[in-house]
Parts: sequence; C-alpha cells; structure tokens
Amino acid sequence: MKKFLGLAAAAAAAALALTACSSGTDAGTSTSPTAASSADNAGKSITLWLAGGDTPDELRTYLKTAFKAKTGADLVIEEQSWGDLLTKLTTALPDAENTPDVVELGNTQAPTFTNVGAFSDVSDLYQELGGDKLLPSFVEAGSVDGKQYALPYYFGSRYMFVRKDVWSEAGVAAPTTLDEFNAAVAKVATDNPRDIKNFSGFFIGGQDWRNGISWIFANGGDLAKKVDGQWQSTLSDPNSLKGLAQLQAIYKTASNAPADAKDQSPWLYINDADVITDANGAVTGKTKLAAATIMAPGWAHWSIGDLKTVDGKPVREWNDKKFGVMVLPGNDGKPAPVFAGGSNIGISATSKNQELSRELLKIIFSPEYQQLLGKSGLGPANLDYVSALGDDEFAKALIASASNSKLTPAAPGWAAVESQQLMEEFFGKIKDSTDLAALAAEYDAKITPILNQQ
Amino acid sequence: MLPTAERPAAAAAPDAVREPDAEDLRDAARHKARRRKERRVAWTLVLPTLVILVLALGYPVGWQLVTSFRKYGLKQQFGQPPEWVGLENYKTLITDPSLWAVVVRSIVFCIVVAFATVLIGGLLALLMQRVPRGPRIVLQVSLLLAWAMPVVAAMTIWIWIVDWRRGLLNWFLVNVGFTDAEGHNWLAQPLSFFIVAGVIVVWMSVPFVALSIYAGLTQVSGEVLEAAQLDGASGWQRLRYVILPLIAPVLSIVLLLQLIWDLRVFTQIKMLQDAGGVANETNLLGTFIYQLGTGKGDFGMSSAVSVVMLLLTIALSWYYVRSLMKEEAS
Amino acid sequence: MNARRIGNAGWSVVAVVIALVWAFPVYWMLNSSLLPNAVLNESTPRLLPFGGSLDNFKVVLDDPGFIKALGVSLAVTLITVVAAIAIAFLGALAVSRFRFRGRLGFVLALLLIQMLPAEGLFIAQYKMMSSVGLLNNILGLSVLYAAAVIPFTLWMLRGFVAGVPAELEEAAMVDGLSRTKAFLKITFPLLAPGLVASAVYAFLQAWNEFTVALVVMTEEQSRTLPLWLRGFVQASATREIDWGAVMAASALVAVPVIVFFMIVQGRMSSGLVGGAVKG
Repeated sequence: MKKFLGLAAAAAAAALALTACSSGTDAGTSTSPTAASSADNAGKSITLWLAGGDTPDELRTYLKTAFKAKTGADLVIEEQSWGDLLTKLTTALPDAENTPDVVELGNTQAPTFTNVGAFSDVSDLYQELGGDKLLPSFVEAGSVDGKQYALPYYFGSRYMFVRKDVWSEAGVAAPTTLDEFNAAVAKVATDNPRDIKNFSGFFIGGQDWRNGISWIFANGGDLAKKVDGQWQSTLSDPNSLKGLAQLQAIYKTASNAPADAKDQSPWLYINDADVITDANGAVTGKTKLAAATIMAPGWAHWSIGDLKTVDGKPVREWNDKKFGVMVLPGNDGKPAPVFAGGSNIGISATSKNQELSRELLKIIFSPEYQQLLGKSGLGPANLDYVSALGDDEFAKALIASASNSKLTPAAPGWAAVESQQLMEEFFGKIKDSTDLAALAAEYDAKITPILNQQ
Repeated sequence: MLPTAERPAAAAAPDAVREPDAEDLRDAARHKARRRKERRVAWTLVLPTLVILVLALGYPVGWQLVTSFRKYGLKQQFGQPPEWVGLENYKTLITDPSLWAVVVRSIVFCIVVAFATVLIGGLLALLMQRVPRGPRIVLQVSLLLAWAMPVVAAMTIWIWIVDWRRGLLNWFLVNVGFTDAEGHNWLAQPLSFFIVAGVIVVWMSVPFVALSIYAGLTQVSGEVLEAAQLDGASGWQRLRYVILPLIAPVLSIVLLLQLIWDLRVFTQIKMLQDAGGVANETNLLGTFIYQLGTGKGDFGMSSAVSVVMLLLTIALSWYYVRSLMKEEAS
Repeated sequence: MNARRIGNAGWSVVAVVIALVWAFPVYWMLNSSLLPNAVLNESTPRLLPFGGSLDNFKVVLDDPGFIKALGVSLAVTLITVVAAIAIAFLGALAVSRFRFRGRLGFVLALLLIQMLPAEGLFIAQYKMMSSVGLLNNILGLSVLYAAAVIPFTLWMLRGFVAGVPAELEEAAMVDGLSRTKAFLKITFPLLAPGLVASAVYAFLQAWNEFTVALVVMTEEQSRTLPLWLRGFVQASATREIDWGAVMAASALVAVPVIVFFMIVQGRMSSGLVGGAVKG
C-alpha cells in the first residue's frame, strides 16, 4: 500500500512537472491523456543502449529524469562498447524477450540493420522530430524506400590540426584550395625546417581510409553508387581516380607515415619535443615532433599541446602560438567534403514498448536535448541547433567541415566491406602502386558483390 | 596364417575337455556380476560429464551443423525463414581460393607454434625440476603471472612493444646499433606479422604447458631415476628412456591440445590486425570465421567453415587418434 | 660433486633470467599502470615509473562497476572450477580405471568437442540461454563454462591417473584396503599436481573468458570482469583511451588468479604430495 502511494505520488509529481513544461509551448492542448498514461507506466521501464562513452553522464542523467517526468516509466541506460556492438545487436535485437528498446549504432552500421528490418518504422514521427532539419546524409543511412527507421543521433567531423610555427618556418601560407593544400604539405615536408628525421608535412597513415576518402570526395568522386537498384563500387571512376592520384602524391612526398598506420592517435606526431625529467631533474627522455599537419576528429584537441603539469599530473595544454586548426579546403571555394562520423538511433522492431520508446525519441529530438548535445561538443542531429556547439575555433572548424560532409554508401553490405577491412587494404596499397587504375578496378570488383548482399 | 590361428584353439583343448565343476560355475557367475557392477559404476562416474555436455553443447552444435546447410544471413537472424540449400555453402567455400590460402596459413602457423610451445614448455619443466626450490618458485610465479594477465592487457602491451614509433623493440634495436630499425613496421608484412603473432602465442601458451609437464614430472619417482643413474645412465639416456615414457600421456595430450588451440587462435590475430596487419592477408581460420559470421552476417557460410575446420582438425590429429584407438583397444 | 654444485647454480641463474624475461610484459603492465596517459604517449619508452602515482588505481577502484563485476566473476569462476574438477575427475577415473563398452566412443567424443571452433557458436548459445530464461544468470554461464573446460580437464586428469600405476593400488588392496580406500590413500595424493594444474586451467578459462560472457550476460549489472575491463579500452568523442587506467584495471583483474594459485598450490602439492610420498 505504501509502495503504491509512493508511486502515485511520483506520477502526480511527474504530471505536474509536465504540465509546467508544456504549458509554455502548447497551452491549448490538454495534458490529461499523458497524465493518465504516466500512471499506467509507473513501474515499467525501457532500456536504451548507448554505444561507447560518447554521451556524457550529464546527458544520460537528463534523459532519465526527463523520461521519468514525461512518462512515469524508468529509463535504463546501458553502455555497449563499439568493438562489441555488432555482436550484441546481432544476438539481442531479434529476441523479443530481451531486446533493448532503443539503440544507438554507428552511422555506417545503420544501413545494414535497417535493411534487415531490425528497426520500427518512425516515418509518422519524422516531421515532429525535426524532418528536413535532421542531418540528411544520416537520415538516408537509416531509411529504406523513403521510410525512416533509424534517425541521426549526433555527428562528428574531421579537420586539420597544424603546427603554425613549422608552417611559417617553411615559409608556406595557409592554403585556400585543395591543390594549394597538396602542394603546401609537400613543401613543408621537403623543406623540413627543423631537420627532423622521417618528418611528415602531412601525416596520413597508409590504411587511414576514413581521412583519405576526403580526396575522392573533393574531386567529385564517390565510393559507390546505386544503378538500377544495384550498388556499384566506384573507386575506378575518373573523378575518384583523380583524388586517389593526389593522395598517392601525398603519401609519396608529404607523408612519412607507415603504409599500415590507421587513424589511431595521429596527434602524437604533432606534439612538440618535450624534455622529460625524472624526480632529480635528470633528462630521461624526449618526445619527438614528427609531423606539421594531421587530420583528426575534433576532440583530438584535448590531446594536443604543450606538456604541462596540472595537479601533479602531466597533461597537454593547447598553445595558440604553436597550434592551429584548419578545414580541408575544396577546389570550389567550399570546404572539401570529409567523412562524417557519428551515430544513428532507432527503436528495436521487436520491442514490446513501442509507445514508450517513441516518447524517448521525442525527448532526444527536443530542443533542450539537442542543445545539450551541442554543448558537449557533439554535433546535434537537428542542424538548427549547431550554434550550441559554441564559437571557439574548434566549434567553427567542426561546423564548417560538417557543412559539406559525406557518409559511406548506404548499401546493405557496407558494414561487411568495413569488417573485412577491404578499404584499409586498398588504401594501404596506394602508395606503392604503379597502376592506380588497375588497383582501383581490382577492388571495385571485390567490393561490388559485397555491397549488395544482405 | 592358418597354423597360428589354430594353435590357441589346440592349446585350449585340454581345458575344454575337463567338465566344468560347481566351483568354476560360481566363479564365472561372480566374475560376470563383478563385470556388470564395474560397468554400472563406470557409467555412473561418466554420467555427470555426459549430462552437462549435452545440456550446454547439444543445441549449439546441432544448430551450427544444420545452419551450415542453410542460407542464413542477418535477414534470417531477424526472422525471415531460412532456406535449405544443401551443400551449396560447402561448394562455394571449397571453390574459393581465399579459403585454401587461409587453411594452409593456419596449418603452418599451428604446427610451428604448437611444437615450439611444447618444446620450450618441456625444457622449462625440466629446468624447474633441475633447480632448487627458490629459483623454481620464481620461475613458476613468473610463468603464472604471464598466464594470468588478461588478454586485453597482454595484447596491448605486446602491441606497444612492437609499435613502429614508440615500441620498446625498435628503441632497443636502435640503441644496440641497428639504426635501420628506427620506425620499422613489424606488422606490415605478413611474414613478420606472423612471427610477432607466433612469439606472442608461444609466450601465452608456454606457462600452461610448462606447469602441466612439470606436474607430470613430479609423478616420476626419484627412486627410479636414482636407480637409472646408478646403472650408469647418462642425463640424456635418463630423459629418453625413463622420464619421457613416464610423462608421455601428459606430453601427448598437451601437444594435441596446443595443435587444436593454435589452429583456432583468434583474439591475438584479431587484435594485431586491428593494430596494423592487412586482414585479408593475415587471416587464420578463427578470424576468417569471425569475419564471415559476425562481420559479414553470413552465418550459413561461417558455420560451414566451422565444420570444415572441425574436419581439418580431425585430419591433423588423425595419427594421434589412431594410436589412441589402438592403445584403447588392446 | 663440486662441478655438480656449480652446474646447479648455473641452472638457477638460467631459471631466474628466463623468469625475468617471461614476466617482462607483466612488469610493463605494472609500470604503465603507475604512469599518466600523457607520459605513456611519448615516443621514448619510460622503463621505470618515475613520477608515477597510484592515481590510475584510484580511478579504477572508484568505478562502482568493479566490485559488482568482481563478485559475478568470482561466483561464476568458483562454481565452474568446483563443478568442472569434480565432474571431470569422476569421468577420468571411469575412463582410466574401468573397462566398459562405449568407453572409446566417449573418449573420442570428448576429443571432438575440444575441436569445435567456438567463434561460430555464440548465436545458438544466445538463443538457447534466452529460451530457457538463463540470460544474465550466474549459474547459466557457469554451466556453459563448465562444459567448455570439462573435456579438457577430463583428458588431462586421465593422463595423470594413467600415470599412477594401477599396481600401486592393487598392492594396497592386497594389504587389505578396499578399492575405494586404496584409491584415496595411494592414488589421489599422487594426482594432486594434476588436479592443481587442471584447477588453475579451469580457473583461468572461466576468469578471462570474453565472448560467451559478452553474449549471454546482456545486462550491465551481470557483467563479468573481462566485460568490465573492456569498457576502459575505448575512446569516445570526448576522450581518448586512458591506457594507464586500463593497465591498472588489468593488474587488479590478475590479482585473484595469483591468490587462487597460491592457495591451491600450497594446500595440495606440499600438503598431500609431501605426506603421501614420504609416508
């Protein structure tokens, strides 16, 4: 009895809170249906799977509180690590008894799961949740035949981090077109103003295709296209080849990164030579500056800077005199299209809590939550709220680079291409290739059949 | 042929002539009863094993077998009825040259690594027996520490060690004079990739082998060895004619298991691939199955590879299985 | 005599050197667990944890998930070890001390099970556990683990039982002991090293297993230690991987294994073996 009263009280409080919120926006509509349903929902709960630690704790708390207030039900958030997400989605999503109700998944994984029918159709909610304002490339990744299933959750983007001091020592001005950029990083590398062994003007790993595809995109090429309902890999199209040739030139003249390096922690190479001393002040080691430019996701700036000791702990502190950010320029005056990272979010088709799950989506796509995403440095799904990212140089670079960003193909088999690491393999072979066209054609032949399999 | 076959019968003849008396009959009955009781006890002892294996593995193994004859992809996992395709998956596999490359690679890797592991493990076990208690415990604890290290941590450390830029290995080589080693990339070439992988797998598996063989050695009684020594047997002779035969059962099971485990090595290869290797040039059977199943969502095919792999393991261990059957039958 | 003693000293040195080489990655883990991330990312390795601190351990121990995961892992592992050793031991006895029809088939089946590739089984394992309602269940996971280690432990123990000559038992039976007693007094103590090795093996398998646990323990509160550890090894949009914390967490995960080994080793080998062989 006591428990019941407690729940009723909570429900009443939630209803009050809701009335208070909604009275401002749509005072005309009655709140009683929601209030009734929130009493029904007391004691119920739904589960949200978030991928990785990208969503900060404050946002998780906000979601739980807002969900409780709106529906009376509990929201359980469980974090899945990116590396295991595929396994867990494959086993749990089809299982009606144990499926999570709402899941976040990588934008490149979204087409695969959307195509096999893992998510509920949310087309009827689409307009209410933001419609055209939602990042179009992500919406497309989660749609089949014009119906929306998985919607964008947040996006990130890649831009350049440069060593201003090294660039100016090499006498190279900031480039404004892609051609200028390509020439500039080559010059910085050959000038090598500080005479560093194995120095890179622009450090880009051989297998780092997520950054490398920018050159394909920037020259009007693409990874794949849909012809008569069938996906075709288009690495050997003339425009793609043009970009790949530029990339090969960079690999040969500007970058000294190994052929098998991926996109992990490139920021290590543009940090300065710091002398490390032991407790007695004796020099025990040195870090090495090895690159004048890197391309990385925006959050890399936390790892770039001078080595300082804060609260007794060595940390990196950004130094405006040495470091700068820059968006990869295109040849048309706009930023070059870069690969956009990020996530989609969808309701499990087997979930028994479809209504509550839809309520959760409404909270996630509410202006409040979208702004919270922006304030945490994550690109909000609804482009109306990108201003929430702030106006420092990092936010500006993120917004500018994202404005023209692209995604990997929304083909059902794209996740399989990635999991077989075919792109890593292909890009790793570019530097030493004597016949790029043949190499590209070889991988087109490998990738096309995989793109269409379900 | 005939004479040898007849001889026992002839030898038995005098017995057969004698009339069985009451005592013989009672003996036979008692014998029979004891046999029956023995059998009942034996099956009772085996029963718990059977129950738990059937409970835990019956369904998954059956599912895998059935699935290998079906078209079963992510769509089927999400509710569409799977289609029976008979041997289609196997046909696709056997005609796929990349499977055979993986098979050959896996077999070579598995044999080299398994023998190296057992050899090193065996030598360490002998060493443990040879040295006094203090050093022995140091060695045992160190092996155990290596064994107990969580795989994620162990692999991370090893990847750091061979890292091209800040790896200890290159740093060490440069400091002893091989300046070419600066920035050398050990994971880029398949050959050096597999050498690195082999070293790591040996490092991880030796503790188990060494401790098991050492446990086997402690069963060899000191008196036997002393007697052999008094008879003038050299160290090598003692090892060859006294110790080896006595620990043969443990040695052979350990080798067999290493072969089986190294054939399906997965985590180490996967993590090294993620760190830099080219996946399709460094796949072994374990990562190949994973790529087909979890990666590509083609569970029919990945089940078929699993079955092929099972057959392959049986073929590889056939010699062992046959000698086992002979030994058991005798 | 003198030459022999020098030989002993020489071998002791070899043993200690090998021990140091083998444990080096472990040392490197501990070293890294004491250093902050910024230092770990430098291009020159730091061989000693100068300037280090226990901060990483504090981060890890403050994580509320640790104690929970430790509890789950301990429960699963202990159930697995006890069940696997007991069941496999009985089976090993049957196989090596009794002759019965079906024995060869049984032994071969065990071998075959060892050979099953595990990478393809997880979907079916999930389906099975879900349909009987044993997802997120400690006992359910233990059953899967026990089944995974029993074939091996049984084979291993079979080797050890076979290593004890049956004549020893028979001699004792001639001296008037019953078969069971003869076994307990004579054979069992000689098996102690084998039991220890098998138990340590089973313990480590259950303790470090990842994939099956990942699939079957779907809820956060039923995570085992390897799943919890995995949580540290990922970068996110706002932070990079904290390698120092990963190493500290790994070191903590390894501690119970060492403790278990010490207990088992001390109890069994010195106590039982020593007493039986000498007495």
